[in-house]
Amino acid sequence: MILQKAKGIRIDGRKAMSKELPLQEVLNPKFVYIHLLRQTETLKRLVEVGETVKIGQVIALREGWGPLPIHASVSGKVTAIKKVWHSSGKMVDAIEIENDMQNTMDDSVQKEQHPESLTKEQLVEKMKMAGLSGLGGAGFPTFVKYQSKLPIETVIINAVECEPYITSDYMMIHLYPEKLLKGLSYMMKAVGATKGVVAYKKYNQHIADDLQPFLHQYPMISLYPTEDVYPAGWEKYLVQQITKKTYASLPSEANTIVNNAQTAIFYTDMVEENIPLIRRGITITGEGIQKPQNFLVPIGTAVKDLIALCGGYTEGLDPSKAHYIAGGPMTGRAILIDDLIVNDTLGAVIVKPMPNNLPAVECMGCGKCADACPVYLTPTEIWHASERGDVEAVKKLKANKCIGCGLCSYVCPSRIEITDFVDKAKALLRKGV
Amino acid sequence: MARFAAGKAPFLRTTDHPSQGTRIIMRDFMIGLSPIILFAWYKNGIQVWLDGNNTFLEMLYPLIFILLGGFISMIMEGIFFYITDPQVRTLKALMPKLSSSFALIPGLLLAMVLPLYTPIWVLIFGCFVGTIVGKMLFGGFGHNIFNPALLGYVAVGFTLLGVINAAGGVFNQSEVLVDAYAGATPLSSLLVNRVIGYDQLVTPYGSLWNFFFGTIPGALAETSAFAILLAYAWFVYRKVIKWFTPVIYVGTVFVVSWVLGMVLGDGGLWFPTYSILTGGLFFGAVLMATEPVTSPKNPLGKVFNALFLGVLTVLFRYVGNFPEGVGTSIIVMNLFAMPLDRFTAIIRIDGLKKSSIIKLAILIVFIILIAVYAIVKANGMYTIGGSL
Repeated sequence: MILQKAKGIRIDGRKAMSKELPLQEVLNPKFVYIHLLRQTETLKRLVEVGETVKIGQVIALREGWGPLPIHASVSGKVTAIKKVWHSSGKMVDAIEIENDMQNTMDDSVQKEQHPESLTKEQLVEKMKMAGLSGLGGAGFPTFVKYQSKLPIETVIINAVECEPYITSDYMMIHLYPEKLLKGLSYMMKAVGATKGVVAYKKYNQHIADDLQPFLHQYPMISLYPTEDVYPAGWEKYLVQQITKKTYASLPSEANTIVNNAQTAIFYTDMVEENIPLIRRGITITGEGIQKPQNFLVPIGTAVKDLIALCGGYTEGLDPSKAHYIAGGPMTGRAILIDDLIVNDTLGAVIVKPMPNNLPAVECMGCGKCADACPVYLTPTEIWHASERGDVEAVKKLKANKCIGCGLCSYVCPSRIEITDFVDKAKALLRKGV
Repeated sequence: MARFAAGKAPFLRTTDHPSQGTRIIMRDFMIGLSPIILFAWYKNGIQVWLDGNNTFLEMLYPLIFILLGGFISMIMEGIFFYITDPQVRTLKALMPKLSSSFALIPGLLLAMVLPLYTPIWVLIFGCFVGTIVGKMLFGGFGHNIFNPALLGYVAVGFTLLGVINAAGGVFNQSEVLVDAYAGATPLSSLLVNRVIGYDQLVTPYGSLWNFFFGTIPGALAETSAFAILLAYAWFVYRKVIKWFTPVIYVGTVFVVSWVLGMVLGDGGLWFPTYSILTGGLFFGAVLMATEPVTSPKNPLGKVFNALFLGVLTVLFRYVGNFPEGVGTSIIVMNLFAMPLDRFTAIIRIDGLKKSSIIKLAILIVFIILIAVYAIVKANGMYTIGGSL
């Protein structure tokens, strides 16, 4: 029906370039910087300058509605508290730890003797103690999803990775297919779900090939190939496709939990080895990078070290005519100084030269943005209403339903920053009335 | 450390590729116009010349007239920029301004829908109303409420029709010689005689195939459904317009006219076919009703816009003293484009809820009422013609 069916647009993936080289583990950078910020919550610091810390030691606390401990990702000495760049595009206070290269583990990091006998509550507690938050990009504390009051039938692992360029989820699955399935089965147990689904993009058949040999051990887990469109990895789209149910704000309303693939992989380490969230996979790619590739790094690693390992920027790249993007190309943020530090939600850094921009033309009202919108908004109407300051109209036009996928700007023939205008309308909604 | 460029997500755009963008859409629009213009030239110039009814220069005239329209509106926009903006007073500054505001198009389209013997000063007047009043005074490209070309057309049609007819009207040198036409276009013969009959309406012009290919009297470029369908296919292929707007518009006129014929006592399919092939309906549906600036932006709004256009065209054709239905109804719907866009945008985002079903029902009932009114009024004024 013309009114409400999830949909998307096929976008050239450009993923091949970062898949050529194998994923590289870079576990001992000289310094790490642990941001004192998670989502929008400022963290409470627990260590002072001069203290020595071990891997897995709690060094900060996230407070508020989703309390989580934050752990040191290398062992060594706290040398400073200083401001560093964060993927949100701001400079944020961070704990600088000088790596002593000893890899000393905190006492809490111990092998679990009988992981299969853990109870539901213990499994959820482990998510909390390990500081597990969504690695897909939103950084939502995982345990909160698992404390849902609604019955959960299905846990979906989102391995769709629908943004172009990014391949870190795929490369991590390729290395740890068994950990993904194990993590998913622990997650299902933690919430009493009877079904587990790994969703991947149809053309990424290699994900299915990697998982297939292990699937027979997990009869409750199945694979689900989605269409090769953007934003197929959007939570609501996945839930609609897989369960045929829809929801208003949270997947739990459709008796579903959705987690990112890397979240599941690291959860296996948490359950079996008690290793907290201290690492993640990241893609360094784009036409501006010499040898694009993926890395497994401690959280807090400086991106410029990784770019150096990629052979640096391509020759002749003019930074003033290129974008340095934290996150995916559709929803990421341009970082002005290439001094970014890896945080929990940073899945990719893309360096790409800007296209030769023609000057923007006036909106001619072709309506391609309204056609493209996966939630059936009419972005032009929202834009005009918010420019008039008409909060009532913005509300009626449901600007809050926007998922920020960026497709309206993507399709705009006049290169109008329509996504940004809708963002402003959303800000108006939060502020107004 | 290096300093990188600022920018906003998404960092990928369809327009990164040089084959995409508003300029390309407008270029494709011009390309799509060419079969229509060429046919107009063929019908009113070349064919007449081959018949030996005009001179070589007169043979070129239709083409010159159409291009002149585009040229005049470009000049006018240039003068407007020159007067209002001190920054663009050199040719170098002016040309990019004119090209990014697509100055050529209103005059070009206007000239295409005017009769062959429109005096040049009337064309200039129409271009002035269209370009200056209809477009630039509203704030230029993208801000106009009315379709500039149509506004010029309606202004000319309301005020200067007599002048045009006195100068020769729509009939080219060959058509003037055809006695069967009796000085009437297919639609004007319907509106003047108020008789619905195949022998009265179609026979004088040959068959409906002549209507389809466009070898009937009418404004310069609006007669050939075939040439316009070529343009339509190209537009749809290049995604210049939404495919469904013309289909729904023409389809609605077809259905309502058919019912109208049935109510009056002639249920033959020839009448709705005749109805959609006359009065520049194809031209209006493909080139004017789809004009993006002045029509609703969201797809649901476009659907309802086309439905309204269909019933209003029939209404204005049979009721009231408007020169013709297509142009008037598009101008009227231009006025309602913004509220209709808002109204349907809300229905669209709300999905199938009770409130949106009620809103949809209101729109549909409104459309049906207009159609019924048109049919009832026509029933009192028109009669069925027998065979001659």
